[in-house]
Amino acid sequence: MTRIYVGMSGGVDSSLAAALLLERGFEVTGIYMKNWSQDLPGMKCPWAEDLADAKRVAVQLGIDFKVFDFEKEYKHYVVDYMVEEYKAGRTPNPDIMCNQEVKFKLFLAAALADGADAIATGHYARVRCEESRCAIHHYPVSSRGAEDGVDDSTAQCTKAFLCVAEDHDKDQTYFLYRVTGEALATTLFPLGDYTKQQVREMATERGLWTADKKESMGVCFVGSVGMRDFLGQYVKTRPGDIIDKATGSTLGRHDGAIFYTLGQRHGLDIGGGLPYYVVGKDMAKNEVYVSTNLNDTAMWRRELTLGQLQWIDHVPSDSAGLTVRLRHRGALLPCILSGTVVKLEEPERAPTAGQSAVFYLHGNCLGGGIVA
Amino acid sequence: MNVKKPELLYLDHAAATPMDEHVLAAMQPFFQDEFFNPSSPYAPAVQARRAYDDAKHRLAVAIGGKADEVIVTAGATESINLVFAGITGHVVVSAVEHPAVLEAARRHEHTIVPVDAKGSVLSEAVAGAIRPDTVLVSIQLANNELGTIQPLREIATVVKAERQRRAEGGEATPIYLHSDASQGAGQIDIHVARLGVDALTLNAGKMYGPKQVGLLWAASHVTLSPLIVGGGQERGLRSGTENVAGAVGFAVALERASRHAAGEARRLAQLRDTLQRELLAAFPEAVVSGNQKKRLAGHLHISFPGIDAERLVFLLEAKRVLVATGSACAANKNTRSHVLEAIGLSPEAADGSLRITLGRLSNEATSAQALAIIVDMVRFEQQRMKK
Repeated sequence: MTRIYVGMSGGVDSSLAAALLLERGFEVTGIYMKNWSQDLPGMKCPWAEDLADAKRVAVQLGIDFKVFDFEKEYKHYVVDYMVEEYKAGRTPNPDIMCNQEVKFKLFLAAALADGADAIATGHYARVRCEESRCAIHHYPVSSRGAEDGVDDSTAQCTKAFLCVAEDHDKDQTYFLYRVTGEALATTLFPLGDYTKQQVREMATERGLWTADKKESMGVCFVGSVGMRDFLGQYVKTRPGDIIDKATGSTLGRHDGAIFYTLGQRHGLDIGGGLPYYVVGKDMAKNEVYVSTNLNDTAMWRRELTLGQLQWIDHVPSDSAGLTVRLRHRGALLPCILSGTVVKLEEPERAPTAGQSAVFYLHGNCLGGGIVA
Repeated sequence: MNVKKPELLYLDHAAATPMDEHVLAAMQPFFQDEFFNPSSPYAPAVQARRAYDDAKHRLAVAIGGKADEVIVTAGATESINLVFAGITGHVVVSAVEHPAVLEAARRHEHTIVPVDAKGSVLSEAVAGAIRPDTVLVSIQLANNELGTIQPLREIATVVKAERQRRAEGGEATPIYLHSDASQGAGQIDIHVARLGVDALTLNAGKMYGPKQVGLLWAASHVTLSPLIVGGGQERGLRSGTENVAGAVGFAVALERASRHAAGEARRLAQLRDTLQRELLAAFPEAVVSGNQKKRLAGHLHISFPGIDAERLVFLLEAKRVLVATGSACAANKNTRSHVLEAIGLSPEAADGSLRITLGRLSNEATSAQALAIIVDMVRFEQQRMKK
């Protein structure tokens, strides 16, 4: 029987993912990835409760359950990366890095080494493969075996494609574009065909312990502390000037350029008049530049240069129908890609360096790069 | 229509106890009708003061002490912290104390004495750990995980001998024996003179009284210094408006627990022994920990080697059997119980252990039901793992 290791975070999504896989006839093992367990000032890390929730659901489902400890790796690949990026004046996306390095690389490798045929997570996304007998992606396995008298297929694809979720609003492909086609070949996203609403309902129908559990938002460990306080733990910051880009005059003081991101309006502490927006910063000088001009050229860009381009299958051969997304749940913007430069039809507001530009064609997520 | 909830089979009395209805009834007036501040000057407030003083008197009587020696606190942890805060010097504690004692001891120069394989503190070990500058020896009355009852009288003899030695040698350093008796009240004798202690901690929440209510009894020769300062209540040792309802409830709880202690202990021991016998018959490989000859009547610490006790707890809760794991969460290998480490239980057994603690919610029928369910669920897990 095909054996799936499903990452269970203790939330409703991964709980239902495990339940669905079991119903589809897979042999399922639940895995809690212990990535972060430190408390932060004013915030108790809920990892132990999350672990207990995940395990309780696993016991409910009668499946095996294990803990994979990636704390050291997570710190290295995700947290340190994130801090370094901020120090360099960029605004990184740690979720994308976590998927690329931890979930769909380390977890995948550890699961396969432990005897799994594939992994699954509760992400809202879909995987499609072209191997029609693929035992991983072409379920239901059990009914096919039983009704057709066909043996359980042992065929497996070697490469698969990433497609957007049925629930466009929840679609998480933006965070998954750096997962390779090879990794996707041994990956399942059981929730891809359902809406969040349906997922809650199905979890309730099945009496899953986590059916009503509150959603965790954003990077788990930064969630309730805020990036500002989190970075404050890792980086020595010093106050600097906030400078009016138009006049060059100093408008006020900030407590560290690292905390400011392009287009940011809040947190400038400059009283009265028109709102100021961050239009640039100089990390070396520790200066933040602001403007009241919403049409400042730094705020709007029509052309973006991308670095670290990565494609799930291959570089799109032309730009017909090609769209790009600059933030999670952001609009799909028509674009033309030539080399590492993406041209937008309309200027777009403040795509920050370090964020990702992710390309889509006919509901497929093709890959993307990081805004330079 | 009122649908009756299916009955819970509660086997975790060492963690929390439901409030005795007499306790609840005694507390009720003080929430609304007699809500006054005992320090206020008018008659109804004076009535509240009297009720409070009466409760303290009854608490003192129940343990053989004086009302002036009782400080009502917000639970055993505070009581323990209070007694440790008052001393300067070396302290001796056992390896199987509650974290409140171990953490409080860490703030002083301290020696932790080991226990034997049954979790018993040896009085000779305590004698060996006492130094000329030892001011406090703190040993639990009974262990919360294993139920092992500690030889407090023997330890008291050791402390007394040291006190005698110092008196004869003209040494001025005092030495006190404190006991955390959070576990055991209501099952065994907690008379302070008979135990031979200088200070005693009790917890109302473990004896069918209100949670967040406890007491520290300290003989008049024990020096204390307050953790909480303010209006000077409790002889200046614990400021804050008195918890009249809590003290009144605690007094009723302690009286009732003490009055029925002997009979309740016999009843629980019988239930526990049956449970132990039947579980060992069903699972000969199971290991019972704790001192079988000196054990709290309701306690049964049993390990099923190879089983993940946390899974077992989740399976049992689904069948409405509520029981604690005998160790900390098995998935987190770094936090295995310090008690099980102290008695040298193998990690495999430790991870497969349940702590069953019987009490007033236990009877023959519920105990038999729980037994059948536990046997089923352990077998279920064994089967699942064989696949």
